Amino acid sequence: MKKKTLKIILVVTVLLFLFIQLYPVVWLFLASIKPSTELATRPFALPKEPTFQNYIDIFKEGSVFRYMWNSLKVTVISIIFIVALSSTAGFALSKFRFRITKPIYAFFTFGIMIPVQITLIPLFCFYSKMGILNSSFTLILPQVGFALPLSVMMFVSFYSFVPNELIEAAVMDGCSTYGIFFKVVFPLARNTVITVGSMYCILIWNDFIFANTFITDNKAKTVALGLRDYVGAFGNVNWGMTFAAIAVTILPPMLVYFALNKYVTAGMTMGATKG
Amino acid sequence: MNGILKNKKAFLVFLLPALVFYLVSVFYPIAESIRFSFIKWGGLGPKQFVGLQNYVHLFKDKIFYTAFWNNLGYLVIVVGMQILIGLLLAVLLTYLTKGVTLIKTLYYVPCIITAVAVTQLFRSMYATQPEGIINQLLKAIGLGQFATSWLTNVKTVLVCVSIPEGWRYTGMYMVIFYAALISLDPEVCEAARIDGANGWQTLIRVKLPMIKEVMLLTLTMVLTGALRGFDIPFVLTNGGPGNVSELMSTYMYKKAFAGNQFGYGSTIAVFIIIESILVVCVLKVLFTGKDEREERRIQKEQRRMRRKGK
Repeated sequence: MKKKTLKIILVVTVLLFLFIQLYPVVWLFLASIKPSTELATRPFALPKEPTFQNYIDIFKEGSVFRYMWNSLKVTVISIIFIVALSSTAGFALSKFRFRITKPIYAFFTFGIMIPVQITLIPLFCFYSKMGILNSSFTLILPQVGFALPLSVMMFVSFYSFVPNELIEAAVMDGCSTYGIFFKVVFPLARNTVITVGSMYCILIWNDFIFANTFITDNKAKTVALGLRDYVGAFGNVNWGMTFAAIAVTILPPMLVYFALNKYVTAGMTMGATKG
Repeated sequence: MNGILKNKKAFLVFLLPALVFYLVSVFYPIAESIRFSFIKWGGLGPKQFVGLQNYVHLFKDKIFYTAFWNNLGYLVIVVGMQILIGLLLAVLLTYLTKGVTLIKTLYYVPCIITAVAVTQLFRSMYATQPEGIINQLLKAIGLGQFATSWLTNVKTVLVCVSIPEGWRYTGMYMVIFYAALISLDPEVCEAARIDGANGWQTLIRVKLPMIKEVMLLTLTMVLTGALRGFDIPFVLTNGGPGNVSELMSTYMYKKAFAGNQFGYGSTIAVFIIIESILVVCVLKVLFTGKDEREERRIQKEQRRMRRKGK
């Protein structure tokens, strides 16, 4: 009897927290299909007359597509760089026999501690001197740089599972060092590539601080900046449109997350469990 | 990390691109920040070397102290929510048998929403015009007198900017703790039970000490994350009203990009980085037990002896 009550309390607590975690998100989607009048008078209730007017409005207004295109550009290019640089550096650090690999690896992992804020002022000054503020490059450079510590770590820890015998065999067969990487090791790292890619896809898509510092031009604004503009840009805060815009722009990371759920959580929790 | 390849040229080809990129995008700006922290510069015109003047100014700056203490408050709330609730949920989940994967997946959802969206969500909940959910709920359950304008009320604003950040990552830390708890050797817990420990004792005395490593790493992540907290407070109130909810990084941002005091802004940034490194070091010392430290010392000694022997 006592055990059963405990079990019920347990389930109820877990569900209660689940409700707290999810309610704002679900509410967001519901709010986005409510007409503005209903949103003001009965924000809790289920939408009485669901409408897609908010969505039609933001699509007509059109800037949401531009924001998403800008974010997509930055995200895709950054990920290509992150994967290319960290898969090769990870290979160098884990499969070569040099004394220097250990200190360099430590140097990379040190980067995990560094707050991104410290780079904002120097990068801003550098970019404005070069006259390249508002370009995608301004975001890609720090995004890739700050992604390297963790992604190098992930590749190194994966490569450590690739047995040295495999590489020895490839050498015996006359495979060059480059061939070993491209034909043997890198193809094996498929899962790590997906993990790194999906995790940074979400993180970079969501970035706010770099975009807010280096982008001021409306044409170059990314999603995170654009969402801020729905407040105020239409006189009063237009909550209906804001919610619709939020719903549209969080859809891509949601899709990535639900499609590659295991990889994303593995990636995001990696930083904590691997050290 | 015991590789076998020895081709020096290939090693450099693989390593250098990433290393150079990392140096240029992360370490060059850090060096520049440190240099900037000793100069006075308004963005245009000549830079003026002022030595330690910025640092002296920093320790006399009242708003900086406000930001510092606010940041501690923010840290306590964020750490409390993420570590305590995360851990509690993880422990509860270990007792569940069905649906754990689904629950884990759903708990994680807030982490993948951009901070700006989270902020707008909470802004609408805190709102008074039109009445936000929180005030409506308070009125609905008869606690209408507690309804307030959350983000302009000096007493509530700091808590209000901290909660969204805590809420957002609770699920992530739960997933981390759960993974650690589930990977523990069940035989150890069984042994504790046979020795007469009840569930609570097993948890406190056996399970938690066993996930000490994970605890250290998550604490490091949460603490350094909270010290650099920026997105949500910046978008939600930008430190306002006045400087009541100012945090160190929002203050730094304001000084540099709104006030054009690039030198002084860099000084604050350097302070944040030093503070983060200090916290990491303190945590490491706290979590390294006496025995471990002794063990490490002996190992070091042995290594030295061996080298001498050679």
